[in-house]
Amino acid sequence: MRLTQFLTSKLKNFSNLPKEYIERSKKQVYWQTPREATHLPRTVERKRFRYTTNRSWTGQFRQQNLPGTMRRKVFVEPVEDWSFFRGDRVEVLVGKDKGKHGIVNQVIPERNWVIVEGVNWHYRRVGAEKEFPGIIIKSEAPLHVTKDIRLVDPSDLQGTEIEWRYTEEGEKVRVSMRSGRIIPIPETNNQTHDYKTQNAYIEREKDTPAAVVGEITFQPKLATFEMDIMEEMGIKEERTPAKSYWY
Amino acid sequence: MSTRWYPIYQRGNPQLRVFLPNFWMKLVRPQEEQPANVVTFAVSTEMTKHDVKNYLEKIYKLPVVEVRTRIALGETKRDQTYGYVTKKDDVKYAYVTMPKTESFTFPDLFSNRAENQEKEGKSLDESKDGFRKFLDRNKKRPGTPGWYSI
Amino acid sequence: MREIHSSFVRPVLMQFFDEPKHWNENEVKVGRAWRLDELRIKSNKELHQLWFILLKERNMLMTMEHECNDKMEIFPSPERIDKVKISMENLETVVRERNKAYHLLETGETGERPRREVTNAFGLRGYYKSCEHVLPAFMNTKWIKSRQLTHGGRAVHKFLLKYREKLYNAKRKSKNRSRNEVMMILRRNPNFDLSVLRRQFPDVDVDKLVNEDKTRGHYVPKVDV
Repeated sequence: MRLTQFLTSKLKNFSNLPKEYIERSKKQVYWQTPREATHLPRTVERKRFRYTTNRSWTGQFRQQNLPGTMRRKVFVEPVEDWSFFRGDRVEVLVGKDKGKHGIVNQVIPERNWVIVEGVNWHYRRVGAEKEFPGIIIKSEAPLHVTKDIRLVDPSDLQGTEIEWRYTEEGEKVRVSMRSGRIIPIPETNNQTHDYKTQNAYIEREKDTPAAVVGEITFQPKLATFEMDIMEEMGIKEERTPAKSYWY
Repeated sequence: MSTRWYPIYQRGNPQLRVFLPNFWMKLVRPQEEQPANVVTFAVSTEMTKHDVKNYLEKIYKLPVVEVRTRIALGETKRDQTYGYVTKKDDVKYAYVTMPKTESFTFPDLFSNRAENQEKEGKSLDESKDGFRKFLDRNKKRPGTPGWYSI
Repeated sequence: MREIHSSFVRPVLMQFFDEPKHWNENEVKVGRAWRLDELRIKSNKELHQLWFILLKERNMLMTMEHECNDKMEIFPSPERIDKVKISMENLETVVRERNKAYHLLETGETGERPRREVTNAFGLRGYYKSCEHVLPAFMNTKWIKSRQLTHGGRAVHKFLLKYREKLYNAKRKSKNRSRNEVMMILRRNPNFDLSVLRRQFPDVDVDKLVNEDKTRGHYVPKVDV
């Protein structure tokens, strides 16, 4: 249910990691039957995780979800159309920074959270030891998307409720309820850990150049893959397979 | 059907050829001391000695004289938290002998890593040093506020 | 003489390792995996070459991961293994698609391993993947005998009754769980949009739950004056 929601959502994955890796790094399998014909596929693994500001592929996440630790379930209300993206200007509605504006710099959809730059922050002491009191750093606390913030209308820089509507071209856009102005999704939303914009991506050593990837070399041929490769490699095979029965 | 399907053996059938092999091979550090021309690989358990030899000769163009294999039993242990008994997969090791004139030693990959990590942890160490200096400076005049001296 | 020879085999085996400049890094940046549409426009020969490039890359990454685990070091960018794996899976899918098309054109069948729906000795329905045999079915007495492992109808009936009860319980529990979830959401957010809940939890009667005791939070409801 939540998966389909994010497949249709315009929210981009900042880490740019493949979904398979994210799933694999999160997994905690305690016991598993051998994957053979003699056994039914049964797995005992952790099903419920506590999502926080630590992303699921990090060591801190593993630390918070160590085997044997159970925490109370968090009830996350379903959000149908995710409307807060990285780079959005938002107004804070609660807390000590009530009324302030800030730019969203991280989105955590697992908890309906966003982290807004320079807003709702507190001091945190890290690296404290017996002889050393530790150093103080500033860290922003997450804000809830349905209760704690609202988007800012770009025409008058005032907070506003929004609605998703379709343009005449059929594009889905966010529209300010007060002024009727379209609030475009910022370009920063497409940024990932690997590049600022897709065009500005620097090709690495092992990457296939874009021109080579786009080249069409496929020639339709009345042959299977194996037959084609054998012909390419000059392998002659005259024997025909004997009849066999499938049942 | 998978391109790696093994048809049943029938005399006079075409030769079995695998065009997209899915075997994996890991070059591992030898556990015991080996002659200079022997390399240790961890390989897919389904691979035979002939498979290992062909794999290295055809894909990597490595001259192979002899291959010996063994299957190491996977470790069995009890889960510390829940008490489940789990067993790791068995691993096949292949000891590949190259011609007498060749030699290969397993490289030391992490010789410079300790230096790099030192560099990263530097900022915290610096602030620790600064704090210690500040304490030393104000040792003889207790009660003076921190801003009093330069 | 020995020097020259050892320098010949070393670069070959060094293909199993990452480039030395990456050995001490915490992150190695690479591009993304090959997509299906990009592989579909490539010739068989190129796909064949790409397969071996990917295979070598996977061996290299697995070697590095093994050594890092052995030496208690962090393996930089482990998602590279997944990217190679995705690419290989996609490549195989494309090859399979092409072979299927050839077989459909030539024989009218997909050329896949045939499978059919069967009811097994426990009365459960499932797919049976056919196997290849030298003899036709009616001549293969050994195979025929192996098929005659039927239990009595009474025992199967008893088993199925309990099996269905198990399935029903799983269904009932999941329904209860989503019902509970709806109540808890409503309790925490009394003004939550009910139409959203109706769409997200189609098996829950949301309107009935609104008036439940459990849905009401521990607070005095505001009365409009």
